[in-house]
Amino acid sequence: MRFAGYVIAGWTITGAVFLAYWIRLVRRTRRAERLDPEA
Amino acid sequence: MTLLKPSVGKALGWASLGALVVLALFGLWGAPPDRVQSDAQRLMYLHVPAAWIAYLAFIVTAVGSALWLWKRTRSPVWDRVAGASAELGVLFTGLTLLLGSLWGRPVWGVWWAWDARLVTTAVLFFLYLGYLALRRVPGTPEARARRSAIAALIAFADVPIVHFSVTWWRTLHQKATVFDPELKAHIHGVMAFTLWWGVLAFTLLYVYLLDRRYRLECLEEGFEERELQRAIDERVSGAPNDPRVEVGAAR
Repeated sequence: MRFAGYVIAGWTITGAVFLAYWIRLVRRTRRAERLDPEA
Repeated sequence: MTLLKPSVGKALGWASLGALVVLALFGLWGAPPDRVQSDAQRLMYLHVPAAWIAYLAFIVTAVGSALWLWKRTRSPVWDRVAGASAELGVLFTGLTLLLGSLWGRPVWGVWWAWDARLVTTAVLFFLYLGYLALRRVPGTPEARARRSAIAALIAFADVPIVHFSVTWWRTLHQKATVFDPELKAHIHGVMAFTLWWGVLAFTLLYVYLLDRRYRLECLEEGFEERELQRAIDERVSGAPNDPRVEVGAAR
């Protein structure tokens, strides 16, 4: 594959960004649910 | 407290994951390399959908803000939708810029150019970062929603500028290709499928994340309101733990 470094970096970064954002959302949601058990 | 039924939200999450895996298979192996750009063109399957979904996210933010400002439809739901969608818009715009830079290096020979499309997109990114910062400025829920809605509508003015920048100015960035009727672009069947699949996968992911972010917004808002009410109640009843109340009482 030509330009493999750029292509792999692009796809890896995209996956990492989505995963990191999703993990952050889940953690913040769980923390908010713990602080507010009525919700 | 969610936009979708929990079961629908969960199914959407799995559907997004499945669609992204299929996109990776087609984007990295299934689709043929481009005749001119070779494999560097494989970044298109991420860059273009990310840019389109960023537009979609900012359109949703603008619509939500307008619906909040219009008295007949005013509801906290619209403010929350606008805030949640703006955060996703920033995420997808940041990704668009990053992927564009990675694509530009092998194709243009530079990581960044002071090109109208690139600069207006960067401005869009920073405008909505400012919008997100504004949402964190303390105030009553109504004051916060009003100033955020006005800021969102002002920031939205940059979206058509970004879109038409390639038509209005001479740019290094290519002009509209897919939707240009005069160009009659013929894209290889598998390439076209992969591109549209990318749009579908990113749309599913956007809707799923919007639903999750909306729920978080509701939880945090409710917690803030209850904490504020508790603090007010304590102050009014002269809570003994509050040193300011004690100083005031001594005087």
